[in-house]
Amino acid sequence: MSITPTTRLTLTWFALVAVTLLSWWIGTRHGEAPFVPSAALSLGVLVISAVKVRMILREFMEVRHAPGLLRRVTDGWLALLFVAMIAAHLLGDR
Amino acid sequence: MANVASLRPEADQKPIAIPGQPDMWVLVMVEALTFSAYFVVYIVWRMRHPELYLESQAHLSRELGVADTLILLTSSWSIARCVQRARAGEYQAALYSVFLTMGLGVLFAGAKLYEWVSKIQSGMYFTTNGFFSFYYFLTGMHLLHVLVGFIVLGVVVYQLKSPTRQNQEVIETGATYWHMVDFLWMIIFALLYLMR
Repeated sequence: MSITPTTRLTLTWFALVAVTLLSWWIGTRHGEAPFVPSAALSLGVLVISAVKVRMILREFMEVRHAPGLLRRVTDGWLALLFVAMIAAHLLGDR
Repeated sequence: MANVASLRPEADQKPIAIPGQPDMWVLVMVEALTFSAYFVVYIVWRMRHPELYLESQAHLSRELGVADTLILLTSSWSIARCVQRARAGEYQAALYSVFLTMGLGVLFAGAKLYEWVSKIQSGMYFTTNGFFSFYYFLTGMHLLHVLVGFIVLGVVVYQLKSPTRQNQEVIETGATYWHMVDFLWMIIFALLYLMR
């Protein structure tokens, strides 16, 4: 079964909304004391945002159909940014 | 690239091509790298004063942050629909999609201004502390890109309005810019509203 580009776009939107609500839930489920430092939570929301950015790039921006160079450049940037952010977080945490 | 893009017969059988003009992708990557530097510097500073940042973060409304995110995601979906509809020759429907994107953009900008005003009224300024400096700087730089986005979307509307224009490459270029505004916000939302 193949899905139409329109359906694919809408499914992407649903998935993005779902992971946004998931990251919100992760960020608020501590109840009374939501503002305590948590490396696990921070890494979790950072990874979710990386997934969202990649979905926007590949599906909404049609990088999925783009030449290999553009796919590699966008993936390379995303990987570099998130490795740098997570490294800054982990090194600062020590 | 223009001749390749214009050869696209079906939306679901696209040959390999850069969406829109390659120059826009250069701009997108330059902007992405610039914001990347801000993001990493933010985390470095945050880790030096974790209590201050957490305490300040508690003053932001996560609900408003989520609403902002959902608004931008929907606007991004809508401009992607515009590209698909224009590709299928449905220019009137494509026009409605751009107007929806613009409307959601206005809603986002309005929500941001409301948030700034409520923070300022509660005594939280750019100079209050490091967190709020980053908060106003990152959201301000982002809002500036949203405002430029309205001009870009205006160009898309101009293209769609007349049968003599309707250049698919220009429409895709405009959409690419708007999606960049969307994905940058996804990271800003995580950094300012959700990280602990």
